Amino acid sequence: MLYFGKQIIEISFALWHLPESLPRGLRGTTFSKMSASITGLLKPWTPRVFLVRWSRYNPYYLEPEPRKEVYHIPETELTPEQKEERELKSVRPIKAATNSVTSSVFNDPVLSKFVNMMMKDGDKIIAKGIITQTLENMKRKQVEKYHKAPEGKKAEIECNPYAIFHQALENCKPVIGLASIQKGGKFYQVPIPLTDNRRRFLAMKWMITECRDNKHRRTLMYEKLSQELLAAFSKEGNVVKRKHELHKMAESNRAYAHYRWW
Amino acid sequence: MAMQGGTALQEKVSRMLSRKQKKPVLKPNKPLVLKDEVANRKIKKGEATCVTEMSMMMACWKQNNFVDTLCSNEMQSFYKCVEKAQIAVKDKSEQQTIGQSGRLQPKQATTLLKRYPNLHIEV
Repeated sequence: MLYFGKQIIEISFALWHLPESLPRGLRGTTFSKMSASITGLLKPWTPRVFLVRWSRYNPYYLEPEPRKEVYHIPETELTPEQKEERELKSVRPIKAATNSVTSSVFNDPVLSKFVNMMMKDGDKIIAKGIITQTLENMKRKQVEKYHKAPEGKKAEIECNPYAIFHQALENCKPVIGLASIQKGGKFYQVPIPLTDNRRRFLAMKWMITECRDNKHRRTLMYEKLSQELLAAFSKEGNVVKRKHELHKMAESNRAYAHYRWW
Repeated sequence: MAMQGGTALQEKVSRMLSRKQKKPVLKPNKPLVLKDEVANRKIKKGEATCVTEMSMMMACWKQNNFVDTLCSNEMQSFYKCVEKAQIAVKDKSEQQTIGQSGRLQPKQATTLLKRYPNLHIEV
C-alpha cells in the first residue's frame, strides 16, 4: 500500500520550520522596534484570503518581477542567489503588480512619473494623451528641421522624442538646493545637496508649472510642453533659467553652508 | 536591596514636603510619578559635509557664468562626496542602533517601560 497521505503531511510540516534564510538580526531580538510588529509576521504563513489590487500587504509578501529578461535566463546560467530567490518565490505569496507596471519595451518609469505628476483628479487618460501628443509634436518638429538642414548638420539633430525628453529633464535638474534653517532666531536659506529623487521631482515640477502658467490662453498644453522641452534640450528657456537662478541664490548664500549639521 | 533605597528616597521626599520642620521645599502641583517613557538623547550635532567640494563647484560656476558643461569635473566630485556622506550617515545610524554596550538605547528603554506601565486605575 502506498502511503501518500503521510508524505503530504510531512511536506506541510517542513514548511512550518523557521527558514534558515531568516536574517540573524531578526531571530532572537526582543528589544528591537520590529519585534512588536514585523517578526511576528515573517514566519511561514499561507494567506487564507488572496489579496488582489491592495497597496498594504503583510511584509511576508514578495515584490513582483515585471522584467522579461529575468525569466529568459536558462537554468544553467543562474547564480546561487538567483536560484535561492526562485526557490523562495515558489513558496511565498507575491504582491499584485500595480496598473502602472508593465513588462513591455515601451515602459519608461521616468515618463510614467511625469504622466502621474501631470494628472489632475485621477484622469490618467487625458494626461497620457497630452504626453503622447507632445512626443509626436516634438518628433514632427525635429524631422522638419532634419529635412531642412544641410548634409553636414543632419547627424547632429536628435529625432528620438524619448531621448529629447530625458536629456531635457537632465538639463533642468538642479545640482544644489536651498533649505530654510533657523539659527539664532532668524531663518537663513542654506545651500544643501539634494537626493536624486528630489532633483528629478523639482525638474518635472518646474516644467509642468511653467507650461501651465506662462502660456497664451489659446495655446494647448502639448504645444507649450513640446516648445519647453525642445528649449530645455538646447539649454535655453524658462525652466533652465529657473535652475540657474537657484544655483545663483545658492552661490550667493554659500557663507551659510556651515549652518547645516548633516 | 532596591526596597531599602526606595524607602530612604520616600522618607526624604516626605521630609521635603512636610510643614512640620521648616517651610516645605517641594510644592508639587502634579503627583510625583515618573513617566512611562525615557527622553531621546540628542545625538551629537554633526558638521556640514562636502563643504569644500561645494565651494569648489561654486567657484567654478562663478568663473564660467553658471554654464554646467564646463564644470562637469567639479560636479562629479561633488556628487561622489554626497553619496559617500549619505552612506556614512546610514552606517553610523545602523551602528548606533546595534551598539551601545551595557546600556539600553532610549527607544528600547521606552518599549520596555511601555510593557509594564504605571497603574493609574485601580481595577
